[in-house]
Amino acid sequence: MKYQILIAGFGGQGVVFLVKVLSICAAKKGYKFLGTENHGMSQRGGSVSSHIKIGNFYNPLIDYGQADLLIGLDRDEAILNLPYLKKGGDLVVNASDFPKLEANEYIVDANQLAEDGLFDAKGLNVFMLGTVLKNVKNFPFSVEEIKEAIKEINPKFAKSNFEILEKALNYERN
Amino acid sequence: MKQTLMGNEAIAYGLLHANTQMISGYPGTPSSEILTTFEKISKNLPVYAKWATNEKVGFEVAYAGAIAGLNTAVTMKQVGLNVASDALMSASFIGNKGGFVLIVADDPGFHSSQTEQDSREFARFARIPVLDPATPAEAYEFAIKASELSQKFGIPVMLRSVMRVSHSREIVEVKDFNFEEKKGSFKRDIPRWAAVPRAGRLGQAYEREKKLKEIAKYSYENFIKPEIEKLKGTKNLIISSGAAFGYVKETLDELGLDIDVLKIDMPYPLPLDELKSLIKHYEKVLIIEETYPVIEEELRSENVYGKMSGDVHTIDEMTKERVLKALKNVGFYKGENIYKPAFENNFEVISRKPNLCSGCPHRDIFFAIKKVFRPKKSIYPSDIGCYTLGINQQAIDTVLCMGASVSMAHGFSIADNKKTVIATIGDSTFFHSGVAPLINAVYQKAKFILVILDNSTVAMTGRQATPERAAPGEVDLKKVVEGCGAEVMEYCYEPDIKKTIEFFKEVKKRYEEVEVPLVVISRQFCVLDKERAKENLKGVFATVDEEKCVACDVCTTQFVCPPMAYNEKGKIEIDPLLCVGCGVCISGICPTDAFIRRDK
Repeated sequence: MKYQILIAGFGGQGVVFLVKVLSICAAKKGYKFLGTENHGMSQRGGSVSSHIKIGNFYNPLIDYGQADLLIGLDRDEAILNLPYLKKGGDLVVNASDFPKLEANEYIVDANQLAEDGLFDAKGLNVFMLGTVLKNVKNFPFSVEEIKEAIKEINPKFAKSNFEILEKALNYERN
Repeated sequence: MKQTLMGNEAIAYGLLHANTQMISGYPGTPSSEILTTFEKISKNLPVYAKWATNEKVGFEVAYAGAIAGLNTAVTMKQVGLNVASDALMSASFIGNKGGFVLIVADDPGFHSSQTEQDSREFARFARIPVLDPATPAEAYEFAIKASELSQKFGIPVMLRSVMRVSHSREIVEVKDFNFEEKKGSFKRDIPRWAAVPRAGRLGQAYEREKKLKEIAKYSYENFIKPEIEKLKGTKNLIISSGAAFGYVKETLDELGLDIDVLKIDMPYPLPLDELKSLIKHYEKVLIIEETYPVIEEELRSENVYGKMSGDVHTIDEMTKERVLKALKNVGFYKGENIYKPAFENNFEVISRKPNLCSGCPHRDIFFAIKKVFRPKKSIYPSDIGCYTLGINQQAIDTVLCMGASVSMAHGFSIADNKKTVIATIGDSTFFHSGVAPLINAVYQKAKFILVILDNSTVAMTGRQATPERAAPGEVDLKKVVEGCGAEVMEYCYEPDIKKTIEFFKEVKKRYEEVEVPLVVISRQFCVLDKERAKENLKGVFATVDEEKCVACDVCTTQFVCPPMAYNEKGKIEIDPLLCVGCGVCISGICPTDAFIRRDK
């Protein structure tokens, strides 16, 4: 199996946390993988894009036109990282609107939902992961596998994260 | 046991396996997690794992440990090695008894550094062996190997990582090991440890030449020969090293090209005779390495292509597209570019620049400095740290390297004495390399203002403890500054811009009266500092009275807080998800008082 995921957002949104979750999931399933993340300057509100490549890869960077899935925690950051997505790939983005592309798009205005009180804004990353689980057909991990990984990273916050995950899974657009 | 590890964590495990008993260093992205992880995993073991005031100090502490027979290591980022290079150059002559591993994390692509630099070049300059891992799993193995080689040959060994190794994650097979405590024992040997110029050093220089030949031979037998034996004898050859190898391997796989690839694990010293005779068997040899042409310079000959022949890009990070272009340039590949974007990206969006965090006190200090010391009449030298992001407020004129704000302030005060020089520096950076230039400025009676932004943490690299924080009441910033002979004014930060401006007005007055540097110690906090931020952030959230907003740009160009942006109506709007409730904007940033309190 080969599957490449790009997560785009900005510093403070929890991009690195998602890379950790996905890495642990891959390891638990016995998949070979390489993931990468930006630290330092990018933490101060700057663009952060992290890559995770599952399968027989030798370097952690995804190239243009190669990503199977792009998770955008922010609309503009998702657009900036569009060149990495392959034609017909999956795109899960936190936005109120998004250009129509030759890709499977799942757009959810998570910012607005957080503001409306559906979940704590700090859990935006987990909400988006839940949206991925609900909508992306070839996504290589199950809800249970994701939950296990979240628990492994921090058991203390696992419960509140699970609640956000469930909210994403149950969220229906109207 | 299999573990999912980041490259830096893997290095820490490797070091512990190699029985490393002392580790020192100075934090710097992308190297910081090595020491932090080592500290964590060695918690119940008799080891020394501590941050030093700077890289040179860290190098020397750990190096002394290796002279006394312990296995030791020092960690830093590539620019940190510039600071420690003085010690490195001599240590390479003198050598060591225990294993001494110099770990340097490079940053190809300038992700969080002021320069790109290739530390392998520094290894070659200092004449020490360097290992170049390609992935986290390899970083783990090479950390062990580096320590073993250093013991075997009695010479410092560099473990050079790059950001895409240090900050990558992979499954690493961590072996079981027994940590054996050793007692350090310094054996007096004056001709070796204190060899005076020239007789002593000369002998060591010849000895080092001999050692390097032996190491090159060792590298051939153990690292290179087994790889050469696997080559198939295709028409052309690619030579690569470290992370660059991963890009090469994947590109060849994806293009379906069958070309021999030789991976070099130790880029210096190279077994030149053996490699040159290998090269002769191929029509063309392409060398792909990150960042400088280190191997290429060593192997240069007519059929060798790379950066020096203009076929491989010379600046910025490697990508597979860049590898593909190089393959095209030398005629190894004639097909299409498979790494072209599938989507034309013609949507207009602004890329987010790094910015000071919402609620960060540095922002207020910069705002106040500019209000009181007008840009036309002043110069703002600054330094390396979070506060470098004051650049967004145009409150920074120069950034050179750690500690340079102080010495450059001195220089500007001489060269352009009609202007007031107000320099900014963080507390950790001041301890790192700001003290010596301050002493210099005091005894030469320089006249400038130095503002130490003291948040008591190395905020940018992950909030490591600074000397004052780690030993409260022992290392005292104010006493250090007073001891240097400078005038000191202290400010306890308040989230009220009027108070901050009033304070800087006093600074201006005092500055007129003094004949030595005036140092302002601004006692602040870091909003990411879990211990201190809570009590300092008042939970005063803001919104905008659109009637009052006249789109004057003061908040977006002078204050530049992340939640503030214009909306479709041309009025400022505060993103409630990004606002942390410091309340400073309400305290008088806006000329028309458009920021008002939001109840929620």
